Amino acid sequence: MLLADFGTSYCKILNTETRQGPEIIATRDLDAGFIADLATGHNAARRSKHSVNELTALARGGEEIIGGEDFVLLDCGSRDIKFVRYSEGRVVDMGWNAECGASMGFTIELLAKYYDLDYAKIPIPDTGFSITCGVLGMSNIFDAVISGLSETEAVAKFVRGIARNAYRFAGSPERLYLSGGLCDNPLFVGSFPCNVISLGRFVLLEGLQVS
Amino acid sequence: MTEKVGIVGIPPRSVIADLHQRRALIFDLDEPQIRASLDLTASHLPRVYCAVLRTVVLNAMHLHLDRIYIDVGPGKCDCALHVSTILRSMLSIPVHCTRNQDMESAGIPLCRTRMPLLEKMTAITAGVLAPEPEKGPAACRPTAGFWGVPPRDFSLLTLFPDTTHVYGWTRCMENKTPADLGLESYVNPDVPTVFFAQSFCAKTALAKFLADHHPQGLYLDCNVTAGSSARAKIEAFFELSQPSFSVDRKKG
Repeated sequence: MLLADFGTSYCKILNTETRQGPEIIATRDLDAGFIADLATGHNAARRSKHSVNELTALARGGEEIIGGEDFVLLDCGSRDIKFVRYSEGRVVDMGWNAECGASMGFTIELLAKYYDLDYAKIPIPDTGFSITCGVLGMSNIFDAVISGLSETEAVAKFVRGIARNAYRFAGSPERLYLSGGLCDNPLFVGSFPCNVISLGRFVLLEGLQVS
Repeated sequence: MTEKVGIVGIPPRSVIADLHQRRALIFDLDEPQIRASLDLTASHLPRVYCAVLRTVVLNAMHLHLDRIYIDVGPGKCDCALHVSTILRSMLSIPVHCTRNQDMESAGIPLCRTRMPLLEKMTAITAGVLAPEPEKGPAACRPTAGFWGVPPRDFSLLTLFPDTTHVYGWTRCMENKTPADLGLESYVNPDVPTVFFAQSFCAKTALAKFLADHHPQGLYLDCNVTAGSSARAKIEAFFELSQPSFSVDRKKG
């Protein structure tokens, strides 16, 4: 069976009939005729025979991987952020921010390419920008650079602000399970003011496997 | 000639009865009555404002009414009070402010019956135009709850099961007691409930408060239309609220 998590920037694809792990393909490079058997994500309805709601896939993947009864799982994607909170084995809260918190992951990747930055080499700043949106937050970077901050410092404050906003969106938990491509960004992960457990970018695929 | 009267919110039953006696043609201005862009109201109202009240102004601009009754008391909101000032300024017809504090219960059969939620909501809002309630259908056992005001975009109601019970101000509407805060605040903790409010409405505070205290509550606010994320949240909420998924898998 061909499973797919159709992200805005990257598609995660798993063929359950082979022993190979999931494959990551840039969405812009995906073959136009590609159709999955079961999928989630923005293009799931158009590019698959059956689709699963993204929040449902995230929750089911979290249950499978984390296994506990009380947890908060936050998925930071290219275009949106979403979370589920479990208490005593039941979903008690959830959120999906696709508008006001939009384009965070996409903007972080865009900035690294534009300014030629390696997030693994940037120290976590003590303070950050107060931002709720990747696009609107760009102005803070430009203003900070104009006022004398280096581009690297300004982007670091931007990333810290994005992480803090995502943390508040998820309800400010003491321990946070993190899903999505930003798990690979040490500056982003280190900017959370709580214990973060990174689960990587295949949580939704895991959710599809148990659907 | 038939008098054309617009109403905003729920004017007192005595006003509605009087309009019926006069055989007036009543328009519920809270609901879209014409096809035109809400942006046309920008010269009268801020763009960031309750979509229902922007709809009121849009309707009033186009319907050529003879008079308007607008409820501005505890059964509606302060925003309506200020919109009444704007309506008076922009129209040359009488705009009557009312403060409906009726407390005589008309019953809530529609809120508790088995029926597609969109049809149920349509029937409840249509009931505002009638002074006396009709004998309603039988109640069903609830499997879901909708708490709040009738949304600007009724399409999000199609995501709810037919056995959804209606709570909040919509229940007050059917009961013809829009200022009954006790009834508005009533919830059923045993059914997963979506606490809905229009964006920029004061009721967002009550919706969030009740959702936070409900064992299976989802707070949701939408403005003009329900976007894909709002729809997905409702869909996933009901899917994940089913106890069978996690319990069965743990047993297995």
